[in-house]
Amino acid sequence: MSAIESLVREFSRLPGIGRKTAQRLTFFLLKSTPEDGRRLARAIERVIAEVVACPECGNLSADSPCELCRDPRRDPSRICVVEEASDIPAIEGSGQFRGRYHVLGGHLSPLDGIGPDELNIASLFGRLENGVTELIIATNPSVEGEATASYLFRLAAPTEGLRVTRLARGLPVGGDLEYADGVTIAEAFSGRREM
Amino acid sequence: MQTASSTSIQVAERAEPASLHRLLIRDFRNFRELRLDLPEAGAMIIGPNGSGKTNLLEAIYYLEVFRSFRGARDSDLIRFGEDVFRIEATIQRDGGTEELAAAFQKTGRRKKVEREGAEVDRITGAIGAFGAVVFDLDDAGLVSGSPGRRRRFLDILLSLVVPGYVADLQRYRAVLAQRNEALRAGRDEVVDAWTEGLIVPGAKLMAARDGWARRRADGFRGYHQQISGGAGASLEYETSLSAPQEDVGWEMRFRSGLEASRTRDFRRGFTTVGPHRDDLAIRAEVDSDGPERDLRSFGSGGQKRTAAIALRLTEADSLREANGRDPVYLLDDVFAELDRERAERVFRLLDEGRSGQVFFTAPKPADMPFRDGALARWRISDGALLDHA
Ligand SMILES: [Zn+2]
Repeated sequence: MSAIESLVREFSRLPGIGRKTAQRLTFFLLKSTPEDGRRLARAIERVIAEVVACPECGNLSADSPCELCRDPRRDPSRICVVEEASDIPAIEGSGQFRGRYHVLGGHLSPLDGIGPDELNIASLFGRLENGVTELIIATNPSVEGEATASYLFRLAAPTEGLRVTRLARGLPVGGDLEYADGVTIAEAFSGRREM
Repeated sequence: MQTASSTSIQVAERAEPASLHRLLIRDFRNFRELRLDLPEAGAMIIGPNGSGKTNLLEAIYYLEVFRSFRGARDSDLIRFGEDVFRIEATIQRDGGTEELAAAFQKTGRRKKVEREGAEVDRITGAIGAFGAVVFDLDDAGLVSGSPGRRRRFLDILLSLVVPGYVADLQRYRAVLAQRNEALRAGRDEVVDAWTEGLIVPGAKLMAARDGWARRRADGFRGYHQQISGGAGASLEYETSLSAPQEDVGWEMRFRSGLEASRTRDFRRGFTTVGPHRDDLAIRAEVDSDGPERDLRSFGSGGQKRTAAIALRLTEADSLREANGRDPVYLLDDVFAELDRERAERVFRLLDEGRSGQVFFTAPKPADMPFRDGALARWRISDGALLDHA
């Protein structure tokens, strides 16, 4: 395979990038200075070498534990559960939440062979034993996100002294939290309800 | 409520029906390329079996729901040896025109719908652009064939007339597929997580179907009596849920139904109750003065056909009320299997008080002039329009 074709293939494996866009990106790099391309390559290398999943919450960070888990001003008695680490910046942007996070690494999807064991669920229940009083389930408002929320609720509900809440509707159904705007998320947070 | 519905009926009487004008069909079924100017009143399409006359109706209806009314897969609609089919039409509606096009490409299985030359984001948002009802040659099978056919009939019609129905249907199907997979894997807590998601959309589907059958039962009976010369008939939504002890809503019924069938669902590896297991019972008096019989197991071909035509006329009424105008009528050899007397009654029901554009196929020219004889007469053979008969 030619060098060009191999880069096109790598680009087109990225989410949201079709073959045409992959070709455009490749030819853009070929027309740029060699230094531009090297900088991109170095940034990719660095992110792979330095960024790890936080052993505590699953957030992606160069620090371990991550800066959110280490921040003493954040309330450790409240945990917000999200599907992906990429959902965290959107919630942080809303300014409504000052607790800790827990990243599941996806959602339940029997059709894709993803059950509870494939997600970071066991570690979540380990954390709940340490004085957590509210579990906010912020999975996406999709079919899979709702089922995942329902699953977590059934497991967490019997825990004494724990309030389990779900972000209010208002988020676009079937949409990704990652792409919702700050105001929408802030409203969903303030309107969160007991499940 | 009362005021709103009477207003919509007044609108229905006033609004001009939508009609199709320019039509282009390319590499669809046996058509290589067909360009037609469609007359306002419509056309009678005459040709032997296999000439492509049903394919022409199928192409027109494709622009209404972006699926084959014969249940064919999109890839099977592409002309042999080709990769893409395309259908275009100019729709005249509400005093203006709109360009509508649909295409499907086998490579990459890509379906595309364009309005005014721009691709729409969501195909389901574009369905029902003009309103159309098909009187299918195979409609006796709609009455007596598998329940899936009647569910499909209800789903297509209700998608066109009940706001939010398509979204509920899509959501229900997505959750159902996941729940069935979880049942096969056999993990209790995971199955229960999906059960909750079935209830709200599923209950809405059942409520919409049941409500439709109740509201339309009288109209259906009326048409059946007119065509058959007096035989009574009924429509009833038949649910897979057991009858409730007291009057509770569909959500509650569905919830308890799912609870009651939980063990059975696990044993069989799929969800055994819900709108995907329901049916529409169609009954009619098949012997003079006898009781109404279920047409799924009783009745002659002609009697099933009569009930099917009454059902299609009922469908047309639903569309007329929802859209505020008469639909386009696609009649595929509608008089086949009917005796002369019944055929004439059907003809009058389709003609009197209805002004929607008509496309009417027949193996030979009919002597019953629709729309005051304003229908063009076309002869079709091997996917080509031969002449104006
Ligand atoms: Zn962390």
